[in-house]
Formats: sequence, structure tokens, C-alpha cells
Amino acid sequence: MNLGFLVGFFGVLILSHAAYSTIQYRGLLKIMEEEFSRPPINVILELIIGLALCMWAALTFPGKFLSIHPDSDENRAVSLPDNSDFMIFNHRGRLFPPEIEMKF
Amino acid sequence: MVTKTEETQLNQLEIQVDNGGGGAWEYLCLVRNLKIRRSEKVLKHGSSILNDPKKRSALGPDEWTLNEQVAIAAMDCQCLDVAQNCVKALQKKFPGSKRVGSLEALLLESKGLWGEAEEAYSSLLEDNPLDQAIHKRRVAISKALGKPSVAIELLNKYLELFMADHDAWRELAELYLSLQMYKQAAFCYEELILSQPTVPLYHLAYADVLYTIGGVENIISARKYYAATIDLTGGKNTRALLGICLCASAIAQLSKGRNKEDKDATAAPELHSLAAAAVEKEYKQKAPDKLQLISSALRSLKI
Repeated sequence: MNLGFLVGFFGVLILSHAAYSTIQYRGLLKIMEEEFSRPPINVILELIIGLALCMWAALTFPGKFLSIHPDSDENRAVSLPDNSDFMIFNHRGRLFPPEIEMKF
Repeated sequence: MVTKTEETQLNQLEIQVDNGGGGAWEYLCLVRNLKIRRSEKVLKHGSSILNDPKKRSALGPDEWTLNEQVAIAAMDCQCLDVAQNCVKALQKKFPGSKRVGSLEALLLESKGLWGEAEEAYSSLLEDNPLDQAIHKRRVAISKALGKPSVAIELLNKYLELFMADHDAWRELAELYLSLQMYKQAAFCYEELILSQPTVPLYHLAYADVLYTIGGVENIISARKYYAATIDLTGGKNTRALLGICLCASAIAQLSKGRNKEDKDATAAPELHSLAAAAVEKEYKQKAPDKLQLISSALRSLKI
């Protein structure tokens, strides 16, 4: 859990650093009165690295993923609940009550 | 509907609690949520918690739910004094409660005093005529007295009011099956499949009933519903696989006199051979010493 958390933290840091650099770059372009078409190459590289780190962290940090298929081996129906609203008590088991002591 | 993970979890907890490891309260909660009938174990572990005053106070307000659960389990195991004690404790805590009133009537039922129980339920019904649980208990009384036709009549009247109650439809289907009224049972299962089409066990039961009624059209429909069950359980339901093999042999037998085109339309040779192969694979995995028996049985079905 720890490694995923750290990696995710660094990924978010890198992304916010890339955002800050882009804003600074735009400010610089405004001073030089040029048009802003796309951020510089190093910022794009930083964005790609940040994306990879964040995706890896998002997949490993939450832990085990649960299956959503209704017919997968974990989620398939094995039995129905016993209909206890219509339960009757005169079955053969009533001749063998277990020995239970009560103190309450 | 109990899933495979829940079943394995339940079995693990049961073994753990039986062998003295902790976790009795989790086991009892799981049994209550899954609505399974494990009365002896619930009684044993529940009363051990209730007997210990430290554990009892650790539960807090859940103590009364546990009392109710242990009371019903005690009634099922015929330990009537334990049940009486639990009900008395609940009466002291919640005087004049409807829920405790129906528990008392349940206690009368378990003692075998059907007349008094019926009176108690009628008086409870006067106060609130739309209480579902009490209507269902009246049906259960007629069932216990061995009068399935009275039970069916009461249940039909109940279902006219509460058509969406699938437990009641299930019970009605089983009552019809016990009286061998297969067409009515098939109707009940159709209602269940309509309201809950993703539960494979209703498809399985419907296919069983259709196969029992017999006739080529019914067996072809039964084969379709067995196939639907296999689809919904990911191929792990052995009963549905065997159902397809039996349908295959029944169709082959019944359509011996027909002409070739009809026979080709109803035959599904790939389905049959795949189902037979899947059955043998399951047996190889789970019961390898019985593989011989099932292989010879399947071979004799092909004829």
C-alpha cells in the first residue's frame, strides 16, 4: 500500500509542476507577444511521466479488485435462502433437542 | 440468493466457531443476513454469548436482535424453555410490541398449540390487517397441520394482495409440487422468472417441472431453460448439465416416429456432446472415483 501511495503522490506532484510550468510559459509568451500553441517539449514529457505514475498508483493502491460478472466463480448463485417465513416446527428434528444450559 | 463466496465464507466461519476460535457474532450476523436455517449452531453459539454477561453487554442494542434469533432457533430445535426465556426477556424490554407479539404466537406454534396460535394471529391481524408476516404464518400453520389445500387457498388470497412477494410464490410452487399439480407449479415458477430473471435457480426449477410434465414440446422448453441456467451460473451447475443430457435422450426417444426434418430441427448435437463433456470434467475434478459410473450412464443415454 505504501509504495502505491508514494508513487501516486509523486505522480500528482509532477502533474502539478507541469501545470505550473505551462502557466509560467504562457506568461513568458504574453511578454514576448507570441501565440501559445502548445507547451514546450519538456513539459509534455513531464505530463506523460506523471500520467504513467498516476495510472500505476491508481491500479495498485486500492487493493484487490472484485469481480462484477454475475456468472463468475465468486458471484454465481449457489443456493436460495431457506424460506423462513413459512418455516414449520413439527419436523423430525424436534424429537432430538440439543442439551443447552441457560443462565439468563 | 447465496453466492459462492458467501457460502465459502459461511462454511469457514462455521468450522472456525465450532473448533473454538472466536467469531461467533460474525457467524450469527452472516446467518441472519443470508437467511439460512442453521438452527442448532445458532442456538449453541447464540446461547453461549447470551449466557456470558460480559459478552452480552458488549453487544449493546444488538442483544435484542440476538435474543430474537436465538428464540427462533430454539423453537426450531424444540428447546422450548430457552425460547420461553428469550421471549420473556424481550417482553420485559419491549412491552406491547407487535414483533414480540408475533414471537409469542410463534412460540405457541412450536409447542403444538395450533388453536391458540391461530387465535393469537387473528387478534394481531385485527390490529393491522396488512401485516405480511402474519398472513404467511397462517399459511405455515395450515401446512404444519397437513392441510396443503387450505394452505394453497390462503396463499392464493395473500398473493392477490401482495403479488410481488417472491418468497410466497416459491412456497406456492413447492406446495403445488407436493400435491403433484405440475401445471400450476410451472405457472408459479414462470411468475418468479418474470420478476427475477437473473436468479438461475428459478430457471432450473422450472426446467425440472417441465421435464416432469413430459411431452416433446415441454422437454424442448426444459432444455432451453437448462441452457439458460448453465449460462447464468457460468457452467458450474452440475444439475443443469445432467438435465441437458437427459433431455437429449428423452427427445431422441420421443421423436423416433417423426420424419427427418422435424428431428433435425429439434436435435442439438453440439449442445448434448458439450454438456456430456462438461459433466465428465466436473466428475474428474470433484469425484474421480465415480467417473466410471457417470461415463457409462452417459453412454447408455446416447442410445
